[in-house]
Amino acid sequence: MTPIFDLNLLLTGTYHDWLVAGLITSLSLTGISLALALPLAIVIALIRLSPVKLLQWSGFAFVEAIRNVPLLAHLLFWYFGAPELLPTALREWLYARNVEATSAIIALTLYTAAYMSEDVRSGIRSIPGQQFEAARALGFSFVASMRLVVLPQALRVTIPPLISQTLNLWKDTSIATVIGVAELMYQAAKVESATFRSFEAFAFASVCYLGMSLLITGAAGWYQGRFPVRTA
Amino acid sequence: MIELIDTYWLYFLVGQYPHGPLGGLALTLILAVLGLLFAFPLGLVFGIARVSPWRSVRWPVTALIQVVRGTPLLMVVFWAYFFLPSLTGQNTDQFWTMLTALVVFDAAYLAEIIRAGIQGIGKGQTESARSLGFSYLDAMRLVILPQVVRNMLPSLVNQFVATIKETSLGYIIGLTEVSFIATQINTQVLTRPAEVYLLLGLTYFILCFGLSRLAFWLERHLQQRTMAKAHA
Amino acid sequence: MNLRNPLLAGMLALVALVVGTAHADQLADIKKKGEIVVGVLGTDEPNSFVDPKTREIVGYDVDLAKAIAKKLGVKLTLKQLAVAARIPELEQGRVDLLAASLTHNKEREAKVDFSLTTFITGQKVIVRKDSNVTAVPQLAGKKVLTVKGGTQEPNLRKAVPTADVVTFETTGQAFVALQQGKGAGYVNDEVSILADYAKLGPAQKDFVILPENLSIEPLALGIRKGEPALKRVVDDTLRELEKSGEAEKLFFKWYGNDSKIKFHARPFKIESDKVDS
Repeated sequence: MTPIFDLNLLLTGTYHDWLVAGLITSLSLTGISLALALPLAIVIALIRLSPVKLLQWSGFAFVEAIRNVPLLAHLLFWYFGAPELLPTALREWLYARNVEATSAIIALTLYTAAYMSEDVRSGIRSIPGQQFEAARALGFSFVASMRLVVLPQALRVTIPPLISQTLNLWKDTSIATVIGVAELMYQAAKVESATFRSFEAFAFASVCYLGMSLLITGAAGWYQGRFPVRTA
Repeated sequence: MIELIDTYWLYFLVGQYPHGPLGGLALTLILAVLGLLFAFPLGLVFGIARVSPWRSVRWPVTALIQVVRGTPLLMVVFWAYFFLPSLTGQNTDQFWTMLTALVVFDAAYLAEIIRAGIQGIGKGQTESARSLGFSYLDAMRLVILPQVVRNMLPSLVNQFVATIKETSLGYIIGLTEVSFIATQINTQVLTRPAEVYLLLGLTYFILCFGLSRLAFWLERHLQQRTMAKAHA
Repeated sequence: MNLRNPLLAGMLALVALVVGTAHADQLADIKKKGEIVVGVLGTDEPNSFVDPKTREIVGYDVDLAKAIAKKLGVKLTLKQLAVAARIPELEQGRVDLLAASLTHNKEREAKVDFSLTTFITGQKVIVRKDSNVTAVPQLAGKKVLTVKGGTQEPNLRKAVPTADVVTFETTGQAFVALQQGKGAGYVNDEVSILADYAKLGPAQKDFVILPENLSIEPLALGIRKGEPALKRVVDDTLRELEKSGEAEKLFFKWYGNDSKIKFHARPFKIESDKVDS
């Protein structure tokens, strides 16, 4: 008789390997997208705060265009739509590689960067303007004042919201299943249809998602305890 | 693109209706409206429970909220889809499954907004209400909550935007909301994926951007009112 | 199990009662409701798909469902399902019957009962010419696209264990990915591949349907386990369709010369509910 909950299925064998491979893919998607999204977010935040009107406006348009469309639609567009607009040679080059993961990383990076840039921007705005002005008065350029004076302080207050965006990114990787990326959700569904053991497969995925989320939330809590926001 | 819209606009807006079930953009909107409508009272209860002076109320609700917030919505949808019927003995279809998942998920997020709102108003008001002889629950109901709800109006609109975006996951369980329909159209037309998904993105954008501007306007309006009161 | 504990015995009896009432004869329930809910794919031409002009779901599976509803004298409600959700939906009683390009195999018999076989098709692979694949074994190490949760993926893994399989929510999505060049091949039932192939138009010259069958797929209607009365009515209806020649007409309506599939002959009859594998 098959047991009600077949733990062995999750601990050894092919199905275990599938699920672990999925977990690793999900973690890699999160890691790579985060590494790309962070610098992009800072650049967008600076663009939005720049003195040039046109730049401000284009930063605003970028953020709003991305945040007001569901990630699922972004993924479908970047996988099925956008590559078709590329020149043939480039397209074939891309299609011969892992186009699923590439499209997912592009969509996740842009989506996460749009949200993170708003957090960075409000972090920068929380630093008193006099500091920036003082730096400019001392002869620093706009970029140098930002980089050396404002950003180091701003990023510190921004860490907690950035950690919570990382949590969202981690959860959002699950949606990449719709464009055939073999992440955790995809593998759980694959095990489910191969074994009809939906409960085990989804329990494994849930525990992984929740465990990682708790680690990320824990990191935020630790950071806030270690470096409380100083109010001037 | 014009030809695409001309052929498929009705399918895109209402799905198979009236020869079959309502789908498309109409279904997306109905899901989002009902989702928020049902999530609000639940979120209110959760939010109050989160700051309850009684530990036996506070802890289980806090744990539940943490679990929901640490799990991808897609996972919540799958649990609802596969296991809700065995729990409740009720046969739920894709629509009710999606709605249940949205309500649970949104309620957890609204609860945090409400908790922050209650804590933002401060202990002072609760204490003065209590010293005037109000019970804890009356103080909440008559003094604290009316202010919280008014202040959270912009957050509510933003949550509505989030809910509209979340409904797109219905696609994965074969719910014929607007993303699913767009995909159907794309497989029908075959050769114009960029246009189809751009139109899908644009539809979401117009809807969500309009609403988030409304939230922005409400926020400013409320701030001005508060400031005017402070000056009076 | 030892049932000496009266409390436990009582609880078990109660559970049995609750489960028992929930599993009352489904045929009677359908007649009482005056409605039969049939799960279809709606994404798999020509078995069940949305006609873009009328926005209605039509196809061979749909016509069979109509015949059964007519026989029962009840209203037919179609419910569109994802491929992977078909069997769970039936098991949990959210649909009364599946008419959803469902393969009848021995493995699934543990989960669902099947009607008489309503269609027999081979599962095949369509490849891009520029992939230079001319036979199934050459798919080793190549990317092959198909749908999640059907028999396509396991069949391909059996035939070519080292193929890199990428799956999507609908067969249509997987086919779009093939058409765009995101994989070397695409697996599906032959009839569905022929319908997809027809959609390619002038681009047909860039694609080839490999002659080998990955498997033979007997398709049937799915019925929840332990519902002999419903199965009897469904099978009787199918037998009558076969006898009156109506089944053959339906075959040629959806798969014949006037369709995209262009089959000249009908290589099977609706007569048996036994499968070999």
